[in-house]
Amino acid sequence: MAWFICVVILLLCSKSEQCTTGNASKLIEHTAAHFFEKMQSGKMYFIYFGKQVNPTIGLFIEQLEKSADVLEDYGISVAKVNCTNEHIAKYCTGEKLMKKVYLFRGGNVLKSFDTDTVFDVNAIVSHVLFTVLFDEVRYVHTIAELQSVERAAKGKADIVLGHVQVLGLPEHRALMETAFVYGVKYQFVLTTGGPVLTNMGVEDISSLTAGLWFLHCKGASQHSDSCPHTALRRALTTLHIYTFLQLMEAPLVSEASVEPSEVNMVHSHLQVPLLFLFSQPHTVALDRVTAQTLAWRLRGQVGLVLIHRESPDVKIPLEYNAAYRLPGEGSEVKYLILNNLEEVIDLFRDESTPEEEDDDDNWATLDVLDDEVAESVYRDRAQSLDMDAVTELTADTFHNAVAESDYTVVLFYVKWDAVSMAFMQSYIEVSESLEDADVSDVELAVLDCGEWTDVCSAQKIRSFPTVRLYRPQEPSQPYQGMLGTESLNRFIMLSRLVSPVLLSSPDEVTSFLEGDMYQRHAAIAPVTVLGLFSSTADAGVPVFKEAAKALRGETMVGLFADRQAEIWAVEYSVTLPAILVSRGPTGQTEAHSLNLSMPDQLVTHIQRALLDTFPELTVENLPLYLEVKKKLLLLFVGEEESGRKGNKRVLDDMRSLLNTGLLNPYLPCWIHLGRTPAGKAVLEAYLGFLPLLPALVVSQLATGGEVFHYPTGRPLMVQPILQWLQRVEDGEEPPAGVIVDEKWMPSMPFYDFLSVMDQEVPGYASQRSAKTKTNRIERAEGEKEKSSSGGGERQARTGAHDPQGSPTTKPPQTSHHHSEL
Amino acid sequence: MDSPILLLLARLVALVQCFHDDYHSHNSTRHHDYCVLGAGPAGLQMEYIILERNSGPGSFFNIYPRHRKLISINKIYTGRRNREFNLRHDWNSLLSDRPDLLLQRVSRELYPDADSFPRYLSMYVKELGLKVQYGVDIGKIRASESESPRGRGYILTDQRGLDYTCRVLLVSTGLWDPQKVQFEGSDLVEGYESIPVDPEEYKDQAVLILGKGNSAFETAQSILGRASRIHLYSPSPVRLAWQTHYVGDLRAVNNELLDTYQLKSLDGLVEGGLEDIAIVRNGEDEKKRSGRKKKCRSSGKDKRGKLFLTLAELLDSLDGKNSSKVTATNLPVYHNDNFSLRQPYDRVIRCLGFRFNFSIFDGSARPPSSEGARGRLPGVTAWYEGRGTPDLFVLGTAAHSRDYRSSAGGFIHGFRYTVRAVHRVLELRYHSNSWPAIKLSISQLQSWLLRRVNEASGPYQMFGVLGDIILLRGSHCEYLEEFPLQALPQFSSLSGHQLSKHGLLVLVLQYGLNRTDSLGPGRAESEWTRAWRSNFLHPVLYYYDKLPTERDMRHRPVGWPLPRPKAVHHMIEDFLTEWDGPISHSQPLRRFLEHCLHTDLRAFYAESCFRLSLTNRKPPLFCRQGYLRKHGIVRNSQLWQHAHEAGLMPGGQDSASTDTDPAFPNYLTRAGASVSSAINLDF
Repeated sequence: MAWFICVVILLLCSKSEQCTTGNASKLIEHTAAHFFEKMQSGKMYFIYFGKQVNPTIGLFIEQLEKSADVLEDYGISVAKVNCTNEHIAKYCTGEKLMKKVYLFRGGNVLKSFDTDTVFDVNAIVSHVLFTVLFDEVRYVHTIAELQSVERAAKGKADIVLGHVQVLGLPEHRALMETAFVYGVKYQFVLTTGGPVLTNMGVEDISSLTAGLWFLHCKGASQHSDSCPHTALRRALTTLHIYTFLQLMEAPLVSEASVEPSEVNMVHSHLQVPLLFLFSQPHTVALDRVTAQTLAWRLRGQVGLVLIHRESPDVKIPLEYNAAYRLPGEGSEVKYLILNNLEEVIDLFRDESTPEEEDDDDNWATLDVLDDEVAESVYRDRAQSLDMDAVTELTADTFHNAVAESDYTVVLFYVKWDAVSMAFMQSYIEVSESLEDADVSDVELAVLDCGEWTDVCSAQKIRSFPTVRLYRPQEPSQPYQGMLGTESLNRFIMLSRLVSPVLLSSPDEVTSFLEGDMYQRHAAIAPVTVLGLFSSTADAGVPVFKEAAKALRGETMVGLFADRQAEIWAVEYSVTLPAILVSRGPTGQTEAHSLNLSMPDQLVTHIQRALLDTFPELTVENLPLYLEVKKKLLLLFVGEEESGRKGNKRVLDDMRSLLNTGLLNPYLPCWIHLGRTPAGKAVLEAYLGFLPLLPALVVSQLATGGEVFHYPTGRPLMVQPILQWLQRVEDGEEPPAGVIVDEKWMPSMPFYDFLSVMDQEVPGYASQRSAKTKTNRIERAEGEKEKSSSGGGERQARTGAHDPQGSPTTKPPQTSHHHSEL
Repeated sequence: MDSPILLLLARLVALVQCFHDDYHSHNSTRHHDYCVLGAGPAGLQMEYIILERNSGPGSFFNIYPRHRKLISINKIYTGRRNREFNLRHDWNSLLSDRPDLLLQRVSRELYPDADSFPRYLSMYVKELGLKVQYGVDIGKIRASESESPRGRGYILTDQRGLDYTCRVLLVSTGLWDPQKVQFEGSDLVEGYESIPVDPEEYKDQAVLILGKGNSAFETAQSILGRASRIHLYSPSPVRLAWQTHYVGDLRAVNNELLDTYQLKSLDGLVEGGLEDIAIVRNGEDEKKRSGRKKKCRSSGKDKRGKLFLTLAELLDSLDGKNSSKVTATNLPVYHNDNFSLRQPYDRVIRCLGFRFNFSIFDGSARPPSSEGARGRLPGVTAWYEGRGTPDLFVLGTAAHSRDYRSSAGGFIHGFRYTVRAVHRVLELRYHSNSWPAIKLSISQLQSWLLRRVNEASGPYQMFGVLGDIILLRGSHCEYLEEFPLQALPQFSSLSGHQLSKHGLLVLVLQYGLNRTDSLGPGRAESEWTRAWRSNFLHPVLYYYDKLPTERDMRHRPVGWPLPRPKAVHHMIEDFLTEWDGPISHSQPLRRFLEHCLHTDLRAFYAESCFRLSLTNRKPPLFCRQGYLRKHGIVRNSQLWQHAHEAGLMPGGQDSASTDTDPAFPNYLTRAGASVSSAINLDF
């Protein structure tokens, strides 16, 4: 058995956990001999005697090891004794599981603890120090106890009063660690709640889990009631307490004769803002009083400096009477004019505690719009929209307008909906571009549902914005695409084509597929769909026509029903009926046999066929591909440098990968970070950094949420990629990131009116108790009468005009008296 | 307003005809599913078979108000063309689905002539083809004894002895009986209903009016230029409508007398009880010996003696209570030399309002007297069914006991909505049609609430009484309009809608604490965090996770329309009643909804949704309900720039620059940090 001798180095350090060096644990294991030897040394030991280890004890020993580092700083060695090997009477008891820890000083047991009490580092440190400091730290419960401590301290020392609801938590530890260091300087007092807190001005005792107050007793006279106090307005951590105590030591008001920017005070190091007041020689006495008053109110939060303006070094514009400087390197001095004290205090409440979201005085920051759409529309409020480009419809003009034009597109909106108003700008742009393109048969109109509410109700508008296309004699068609210029423009252009386009000859078919027939449309919607049937009598033709109608505005759809359709059927080796999907003159053409069913199923079928097998994901098309709900095999490519064709080669390689047919579980796709800058943030979010491009990533968006990154440097070629994918499948690759699966909770707290009511007018928002059950109406009446009748006057008059003493008539009763109000 | 009423009407009329044919042959009873008693505004609003004793609709208005000026405003120009909004300022028109069936077709006056109202009602009856049977004077109403399978029903007997059997009886008889108080000499008092309306009749007369309501002031105002002295006497001080926000209190249109009172021009207001006073006429003998002889003579040719106000107890000494024996000791001035009402009057006029005619109801069919309103009104449930008289509903001004002196249920502009609410209750109870509801996706809720808040007339007029109910259902909600709030505990059985575990929201418009001087400083709030102290009408949203019980309702906080909710949101009062400000109205509302729905409701541009959809298993609701359904909002370059400047979107240097701007807290960029990386940068 080896003895490890503990060398105690007392590091008096307030920020204890950061102060230890080295990684080896300071926990020592004692033999019996060493144990007895050490007991004589007079040092303090915290020792656990154990035999068997169950999970709970295992965890405890882990925590004990950690605490060894910390307690070492306080001159306390932590050790354990293995009772299986060693036997130390009294401490190595017979049980298998031993749950006692002892604190020794000079061979005597100071206190024993249950392992359940000292369950972790915080609990160990706080309890041990609490025991060690038993004489220095006073525990109080009642106000009287606190007052007696105060009396004793007045004129001698300041008091630090700490409150923790529960012992053994980090706050308790922070307090004890501070007490250990500052115990000589201040009188430390601990309370765990109750009346003492009420004395400190705490309104809701139960909700305060921890708090700290500095009682300025040193300067207090013996005759004063109690010492003035300052509360620590931050969480109870050693750092905060340390800063706070430093601030309490700093002079209440400093005076200087230099520019505010030159003033150097302890506050700057403590990350506390400074407030400067400018004084003139003839008002200096008054200014000092003001500064003192302010300083008391802001003590612990802000440092106060009185600057003597008359000094030649001070060149402050005369109109200002105050300035402040926030902490931090190079933060500027801001000058202001203050008219009263409350203003100053409010200023600092906001400025000094921006990180405290629950601060009631901080609601001003909530007036910043945090909705990107609302904010951008709000910022644009100075710009008036050019509504001339669109027709503003009314209840009177709506019906005629939609009946007259070949195509009327109507945007139903409400002014208070930011999305509507954001889209309005794009809508106007579309209108202008249609005008520029000499499209004369389309009328773009808007209808304000805030004003023409009947029309919107009659049109069953249930969401804003809604865009609909009206054609005479046809049911209106909702626009369900992206609310953007490009999409809407495409929708309008395509809607003007009949759907399906009936093709009558093979030449027309070729022309249609290659985009020659409708060049203008092909430019904006290169993908076309052609239905091939062997004859117009085919039962599928009407179904196809119906589906094509539904796809109007979305895709160009042609129909060729003729014997000659066989040519294409043979060419693409499908059986009729079939559809051909052409991706423009440069793209491929694919064929799909048709599964003719219901029109809406056919629509879905065609929509699926339209999807690319290796798409470039864009902001606009991502939703189409996410619907497939496959894992994404996602290639990020960057902006092409001149002369290099890297991207094309990589993309071609990926395409050849497709042909292997091994990528079925994946949706292979790519994002061009130049065209889709939002992709950059995605990649960064996936990996935590921006890797070299091109980067290949597997994103299990729909399943599991893990992200895998294809090793940079490895060639992006078919075989290595397939091998890598296999390893990902087999779980051999470590994930490079995780896609969060969190609920989107409110980004900000709401303003809780109920609690404000409870605070400001107690009882106003409380349910009536059973006893005061009264009819509301009666009660309301009673109140009104009481409040408006001014009964006092009535009474007074009655008394003043007592009858003149007729013996036969009794004086009229109060209630019978009439008085003029 | 809504077509179901009309559809139902068509069906009912058919039904009525059919019953009529069936039964007419073998006895004199006419059977109806629905009978509406009274063709006033409430009865017509209900639109069923309507029995009316007079020869035309709204005959009350042929007599009242006596001085022929309506005080309900007929505001034609509002600067708006929103029909629903304009009904907020049209207090006379009834609801219908005809956009132009408004009172303004009959009168262009802000305070229309009273004759125009029956004219308007006739037009309403004609254009909607309502079936009204005039000349049917129901004298007796009793509950049917036989329990028929369709419920018990009521039997109405008219002046010819004809019986009408009604499964459901809707009583909209209004308030016809003048409210009277019995005291010594009350026979000397004239009633508002019968006084002459020609001011010349009051020339140089001293007039005492009992009452301080609108009819009292209306009467006073009409004779102000002729009478020598007008005193208004009643127990409670005058309540000004512009102070109490209750339109039944004294309206400024009638309050000229306040001026002449306060400027000491011989008129005045006095408070005192009515039960203990007495009116006595001074006899001839008294004239001879009293010092007032001269004064009495000066009142001219009127043969009647002067009237004195005195106290009943001062007359106790008189044995026979014969007014001719009244002596000076029987008058208050003898005991109190500056008694306010010591001078005699030429007329005493009673203007104490009206009461419900209970007398036509047999005990079996009589609703009890209301607890409030001095028992003048029938007591009804929160859905206006008579207490203890199932299938008998009270409509119109007689149903005002629910919101007496607090809202507008006693007035056309208020009860036109409660009648519609009763109709919806009937639709469910007798036709299994549940309360109309609109299904909305949650991302649209905020816009929809703002729409209602900015235009809805029902909750605006019936503030604190009718409110919109929003049933939360997760990703969508159901929106029900204008439900009677006091009936909330019975919500499911009255509306036919069930609650989900997500709870419900209630949108109410209400006035505030009203604890400040109506015209004084600090009467209005403008900071949204102080919205709960708003004094003027403003929207309030209540959130409950489950339906309040009747007990909760009974114990609700004093002055509140609803019990303490889980969370409440007041929208700051608005000078223009336009609640559409992004900072003061929309954003606080959104945060409240977010709290109730436990979700982020912010809107995102498509580009943000793109990023969030790829970096989150489940992107925010707005992206799910818009972008992922291919319906995202695509940036326009200018707006994109704004959003970037605001630091709301991450991306390159832009987000870095926001760090240096202290005006925009860091948490706003939190959305960008939604993916946590497990990568070890050291490898």
